[in-house]
Amino acid sequence: MTFLDEIEACLPSLRRYAFALLRNRDAADDLVQDTLERALSRRHLWRGDGPLRAWLFRILLNRFRDDRRRDRTALSVVGAMIDPPVSGGQDERLDLREVHEAMGRLPADQRAALLLVGLEGMSLAEAARILELPEGTLASRLGRARAELRAMTGRSGPRGERKATET
Amino acid sequence: MPDMDDAALQALRHGSAEDRARLERLAEGDAALRDRLAEWDRQDAALHALYDPVVEEPLPGRLTALLVQPAAPPRRLWPIAAMVAPLVIGVALGWGAARWSGDGGRDTDSLLASAIRAHDTYVVEVVHPVEVPASDEAHMTKWLSKRVGQQLAVPDLTADGFRLVGGRVLPDTRGAAALMMYEDDQGQRLTLYIAPEPRQPETALRFADSGPTRGVWWVEGNLGCAVVGDLPKDRLKAVATRAYDQLTGA
Repeated sequence: MTFLDEIEACLPSLRRYAFALLRNRDAADDLVQDTLERALSRRHLWRGDGPLRAWLFRILLNRFRDDRRRDRTALSVVGAMIDPPVSGGQDERLDLREVHEAMGRLPADQRAALLLVGLEGMSLAEAARILELPEGTLASRLGRARAELRAMTGRSGPRGERKATET
Repeated sequence: MPDMDDAALQALRHGSAEDRARLERLAEGDAALRDRLAEWDRQDAALHALYDPVVEEPLPGRLTALLVQPAAPPRRLWPIAAMVAPLVIGVALGWGAARWSGDGGRDTDSLLASAIRAHDTYVVEVVHPVEVPASDEAHMTKWLSKRVGQQLAVPDLTADGFRLVGGRVLPDTRGAAALMMYEDDQGQRLTLYIAPEPRQPETALRFADSGPTRGVWWVEGNLGCAVVGDLPKDRLKAVATRAYDQLTGA
């Protein structure tokens, strides 16, 4: 596979991740386009000594952080949401909507971390390299994100009651 | 709760095959842990159900367009361009432009070669020559300025008979580049191409002439600009000078 083929193969998951992170389709594709432009203009910096996917995710997350620093208000706007897919009964549908909303209320760094392992299926080690964090720090962050999500989706007790965060 | 906290369990759950096997063994004798793991499985399943549909979508054109943009050395692409474009491409012009690229690393395309390629790609487009139409000029200016990284002015070339069609962002080896397209009453099109050029010394207007596609380019501040079109030399120079005056006066 050529460099461009490999990049193209990563695009669907980059788009999925960007959408889950930003929760707005246009903003997500802007971010992926930005990532792609940056990757193409810096291809000479990629020495092929690691997975291209990790390199692309690292660029994407750096762009995400830069954008947030530059323009916090614009990115905190939650744009048009997708209708969660309907498959099964009312309960399941409600569940997905709840999870989507809860993900939006998670702090961005927790959401970014949880999506790398929970959605993109990366290992703790791979995600830690991408986020440039020690593995222990990432593990704690994931633990907090999971607990928050559980509390917000009403599974750790009465609905809406926020459980104290464990660390 | 068992003696392991969420963080330690996360490390095992997303760890090596060995870690995951260890977690399974721990869960065998621990109903509370099994509940916790099942909850995390449900969370991950919900994330997939919510966001996986994006993976099945066809890739948007603006992303795939970046991948078919030539990343290979330009010289190999000229013959292809000559085959597909209904215009005769100024090969000699391209070579001259490649020589101009100064310190140009081996994967650095010259500004003028990029501008000509962009012109030849979009000048034949009837339906989608631009991404943002002139009717939305304020938005276009803001967008292009943000992407190129400097406040840009959109030159008014109506005195030369050219009205703005619109603009788009293009990938360039130097970073994001802006393309603005103009058209006259006879449908003759003109491309203004602007890319970051932080390492180049400033230049006066330079003209390159070979074949029907002619270009005028210059470097000012940290920007490289090129005006490209299939126009008589005098007319192209006049238009480029007007664009230059407005861009540098901005």
